[in-house]
Amino acid sequence: MLNYIWAGLIVFSLVFAMVHDLRDLSRDTYRNDRPLPVTLHFPEGYDPDARRVPLTVTIDPETFGAFYGTEARPAASYEGVLVQTREGRQLRFAEDVAVPEPLSTIRAMTSARDNDLRGLIGPLTLRGDTLAATTVTFPPVRFVKMHAIAEAAIDFAETAVTLALGLIGTLALWMGLLQIADRAGMLYSLVRLTQPVLRPLFPGIPKDHPALAMIVLNLTANMLGLGNAATPLGIKAMEELQKLNPEPDTATNDMVMLLAMNTASVQIVPPVLLVAIMGLQINQLFFSILIVTLLSLIVAIASAKVLGRLKAYRDTDPQRAAAGTGREDAGT
Amino acid sequence: METVRTLLDILSVFVLPTIIVGFPLYGLIKKVPVYEEFVEGAKEGFNVAVMIIPYLVAILFAIGMFRASGALDFLIDGLRPVLGWLGVPPEVLPMMIIRPLTGSGSAAIVLDMINQYGEDSLLVKMAATMFGSTETTFYVIAVYFGAVNVKKTRHAVPAGLIADVFAMFLAIYVVRLLFG
Repeated sequence: MLNYIWAGLIVFSLVFAMVHDLRDLSRDTYRNDRPLPVTLHFPEGYDPDARRVPLTVTIDPETFGAFYGTEARPAASYEGVLVQTREGRQLRFAEDVAVPEPLSTIRAMTSARDNDLRGLIGPLTLRGDTLAATTVTFPPVRFVKMHAIAEAAIDFAETAVTLALGLIGTLALWMGLLQIADRAGMLYSLVRLTQPVLRPLFPGIPKDHPALAMIVLNLTANMLGLGNAATPLGIKAMEELQKLNPEPDTATNDMVMLLAMNTASVQIVPPVLLVAIMGLQINQLFFSILIVTLLSLIVAIASAKVLGRLKAYRDTDPQRAAAGTGREDAGT
Repeated sequence: METVRTLLDILSVFVLPTIIVGFPLYGLIKKVPVYEEFVEGAKEGFNVAVMIIPYLVAILFAIGMFRASGALDFLIDGLRPVLGWLGVPPEVLPMMIIRPLTGSGSAAIVLDMINQYGEDSLLVKMAATMFGSTETTFYVIAVYFGAVNVKKTRHAVPAGLIADVFAMFLAIYVVRLLFG
């Protein structure tokens, strides 16, 4: 199923980006190569031959709306500079100012590094000493979404690595602590204590096996809203389950069960991130979150169990294939 | 209710220090060479982190592309009438769809909804309950299965998603019942 979801995400992204960009082209959303009327306000006593002239730009809201066919309206005025370049006189808006769509997209596409909207100025019609009516033509913008998906793919690939490397510290800490707990015999006592409850859910785990201890620790950390501690413990539990797996590239029923219980994530204490966002308001949500997670935990357990019995999934069960048909059936 | 809540808050504050100090202390009592064992175990942390990178990249870049292409917004718009009929307020729909895909994205949605509708609104309570009672399913799958190199996930995705969908709908009804 993950294969289809994954391929679906990628293929649909491409199709959508293409449809969106073709629609932009046919509607000419960005009015490529067409001049937008603007008014320039020069400072008193400016030098007409200077290479850079600071000024303010005003765009008539009605003209703007009609030109781009949009509801968005520009601000009353923008700071900017007029720069002499080889291609002609260029108007540069101040960096990082808030501009309405589609100008912000044009800026993002054509001046990503400096983040200042740039366009070439047409002939000036002077009105008095400091005022001039003119037009500005922004560089053409095409295939916005195509650029966007390519950029997103690269950005998120980097994010993934940052996320994974960010885990190293907490992973190492918890793996170290668990190693001590294991050597001190603490995990064994935990297994003895909890296996009457947990073993029916994880029939593939033999009696007194350390995997149970890791599962308990993982679920407990989850319940207490300790997301950062829950992940290393869950990974450790997966490693223990993998030791019982005769086919290392295929998930066992127990692994799926652990995953389902994690996604349902019973929360007695809400996750740290949510507390940070909601502040004291979170107190009100204590019971609603508890009720929802408890019931969805039941649903998660049930769906993991029931789906595991479907023929397609039963045939791919690594432990069943290895054990023949005997032992596993007796357990469930 | 308040005392239970306070007790749990205090408990959750003490859990981490207790474990971090308690484990080595107990080990010491049991005559375990705690420092050596800690370092031995901790070495594994690096390997695991590196091991999950390919899995995380695969999941995250696909989700990132899907969002950037505008397909996600389209999906949300398309589902709006269907879910409205099931009693789902259209405002919480983005949360329902984005929650299993990205944790930071759904946190941003809660923040945005607080700004838009106010902390006390029913909509924010629904979204926050959804956030609190489900997980970033695809991230969890990538990390947990990635760490042990499992590629054939079998019924993990459907089971996780069924639990997610159930929790999302339940959050709406429970919040309505408790606060509505």
